[in-house]
Amino acid sequence: MSLNFSPVPFDLAAGFTHWLVIMVAVLALSFVLAIVISMLTLGFAGPVEVVVHSAGAFSDFLGTSPRRCLALTTLTFREAVRRKTLWVFAVFAVLFLFAGWFMSEATPDPDLQVKNYVSFVLRTINWLILPVVLLLACWGIPDDIKVRSLHTVVTKPVRRHEVVLGRIFGFAAIGGLVLVIMSAIGYVWINRQLPQAKGAQLIARVPVYGEINFLDNEGKPTKEGINVGDEVMFRSFIEGNTKARAIWNFSNLDPSRFEGQGRLVLESSFQSFRSHKGNIERQLMCQFTLINPKTKLRVPLKAFEVHEFRRNVYDVLAQNKTLQDEDGNSVELLKDIIQDGKLQVETACLSSAQYLGMAKPDLFVRLPDRSFAASYFKSITTIGLMMTMVVVLGVVSGCFVKGPVATMLTAFVVVVGKVAHSFLQSLVTGNVSYNPNVKMQGSGLFDSIYRIPTHLNPMVEIDNKLVGRVVSTLDNIELNALWAVQHMFPDFASFDTTEYVANGFDVPWAEALLPSLAITVGYCLPWILVGYFSLRLRELEAK
Amino acid sequence: MSSEVVIQTRNLTKIYRDFWGRKKVRALNSLSLDVMRGEVFGLLGPNGSGKTTTLKLLLGLLFPTEGDVTILGRPASDVTKNERIGYLPEESYLYRFLNAEETLDFYGRLFKMPANVRRDRTKKLIERVGLTHARRRHVKEYSKGMTRRIGLAQALINEPDLILLDEPTSGLDPLGSRDMKDMIVKLRDEGKTVVMCSHLLADVQDVCDRIAILDGGELKVLGKVQDLLKDQGVTQIKTSRLADNVVKEVEAVLARHGAQVLEVDHPTTNLEDLFVKTVRESAARPGQRYVAPALPASTAT
Repeated sequence: MSLNFSPVPFDLAAGFTHWLVIMVAVLALSFVLAIVISMLTLGFAGPVEVVVHSAGAFSDFLGTSPRRCLALTTLTFREAVRRKTLWVFAVFAVLFLFAGWFMSEATPDPDLQVKNYVSFVLRTINWLILPVVLLLACWGIPDDIKVRSLHTVVTKPVRRHEVVLGRIFGFAAIGGLVLVIMSAIGYVWINRQLPQAKGAQLIARVPVYGEINFLDNEGKPTKEGINVGDEVMFRSFIEGNTKARAIWNFSNLDPSRFEGQGRLVLESSFQSFRSHKGNIERQLMCQFTLINPKTKLRVPLKAFEVHEFRRNVYDVLAQNKTLQDEDGNSVELLKDIIQDGKLQVETACLSSAQYLGMAKPDLFVRLPDRSFAASYFKSITTIGLMMTMVVVLGVVSGCFVKGPVATMLTAFVVVVGKVAHSFLQSLVTGNVSYNPNVKMQGSGLFDSIYRIPTHLNPMVEIDNKLVGRVVSTLDNIELNALWAVQHMFPDFASFDTTEYVANGFDVPWAEALLPSLAITVGYCLPWILVGYFSLRLRELEAK
Repeated sequence: MSSEVVIQTRNLTKIYRDFWGRKKVRALNSLSLDVMRGEVFGLLGPNGSGKTTTLKLLLGLLFPTEGDVTILGRPASDVTKNERIGYLPEESYLYRFLNAEETLDFYGRLFKMPANVRRDRTKKLIERVGLTHARRRHVKEYSKGMTRRIGLAQALINEPDLILLDEPTSGLDPLGSRDMKDMIVKLRDEGKTVVMCSHLLADVQDVCDRIAILDGGELKVLGKVQDLLKDQGVTQIKTSRLADNVVKEVEAVLARHGAQVLEVDHPTTNLEDLFVKTVRESAARPGQRYVAPALPASTAT
């Protein structure tokens, strides 16, 4: 079982710089817009008002009182409990009571059964908790304004952002409590539901991924392997018994973390594609060659059969009594092959006229497993982070629109962020969503508008230089606008770490937890600012 | 009443606008007035005269279209002024799922108030507004009168220097209304400034030192209640009960001095006093009831 996507480590420094640039740009743009609008509405007194409000905001944030925030948090928590929010457990309990009927022994494959159970629990928690907190958060402040209980609060020495923060913390706390209880029940349920023998499948593998490169049938470097007819190509194929190779470059291996502090374990899950039946009883043959990237020392390993849809675990020292280079000289794994944490693994298909398909996550160095519980609760943490984002977004929306509109707005942002973010990303970058290395065919909107009526295909350049320049400029503007729109929606899909846990992987910090945390902080801070200004500049009693 | 100005408005104007920014209504027009420390100041006027709008402008719940407001020396938009202000809205907008103790504790936590002080003050205020028996009941189960009482208690939780009361006696029974007025007078005696708006004229007359009458968003009358109500053309003498012949002699003396006697009568108490007296006696002596005198035999059926 492997991942059907490539986990990419999050670059915190680059991400922070990117965020800072956007924040400064947005703040500057907002300030200029505020100055212009205030001058149009209030005349020359307008800019003074803008400066006064900006300074007021600064002093408000400096004067934040944790005591008042806590009071409002407690109030929100108590309100949610007394409004019988915890009844969501009843739905949860019903689902879990009856799910066992339909899921037990649904598949004989232990890996798949574990995957089904874990996916069911994590997805159920996700889809139960998000609507509950969304509704709570979106209706909190609008209800307060409608029944005017907020008026009694803001006539006390309470700053408007403390109201926003109090509500956010309160809803996040109630959501967190529900999440903790649900996840604990879910964990116990998974363990009880699985038979003793299959319980061993509850693991959290720790992979170290490398970068993948390909050589074609003649041994020349190429961007990708052969497409065997897939419309959406995630895996590239190499042809058997040719010079075609897939080469993984590992650059950050720490042998002290290997199994038994020195055993190199490679795990692969390649896809087979047969161009003829061959010996149907026999799987396709594959061979690894370990390469020292510095000295170019090559150590071919014993070939093995590729079992599709299963984990092919290859313990290098256990399966090769002695390691020898191509000249037959004995070599040592840690001394001669892995140098400065770097290693190349060359993969060849040995079966003639058959093909092996592979993508970056299909081969990794497997470090000692971690506990399933730790991985499970890390996944719960990402659900918690997503829930926090929904709470913040809901509360902030409620600061400037009424409950139903806030609900629709928040739900829209969540759905777009979860479903359409990668599509928007592919439009902006021009890369296909399933493979960032592959450019999309075709061009921009204005280019297409010109080409369709003139019957000009996308491969031909536009003759008229001026038209070409205008079209390209307009397309650039449109792409930049699309870029801005795309950045308004957080990538909620990146919070879904179910795939890791369900496929028996540890939820990695750099690839999953850190980006989720960064997205949460990166979006929540400006949203809170929007909520504060919306509430501060709003006349609560306006008729 | 001191000469220190607690509230100052200058040319305070509020125009409500619609979504497109078009003028909907001019709720308040160039209001300029001062409220002094230690007085009970009444804002009077018919519905829609701008009383509540004025209070909300003072509290920062609305923003003035024109003019300035200063409360306790600070602009209305400064939230720190609220440390010394207590506000009772027209309807007590409280959290319905909290009980009286939780309500006061919550509002107390919004001020810099240690937990023990908060507990003591909560207990005292609940006693003061007469809700000890219902302190654990949720506010949603309260009658309107009880809601007003807990509303007043929350307004006093921070021992404010300035108390703003919007229709404080609305929804209260005569006894509750009397208690509220007694409390307002007591607050004034403690040196607090009270601003109340009401259209119940008798209530205002009972407790206010000065009043402002608003109509159509404009200030029409401003001054001391006694001065405004005094009829300089009439003299009233109150004595203990006089015999009829003495009354005639007094009338003769007055006639000799050219005075016209307009009315000689035994003053009646007002209905509120009678009601309060009756209910309090009933509480003191439960079981005692009024027995109607027997009808003459000829009228009995």
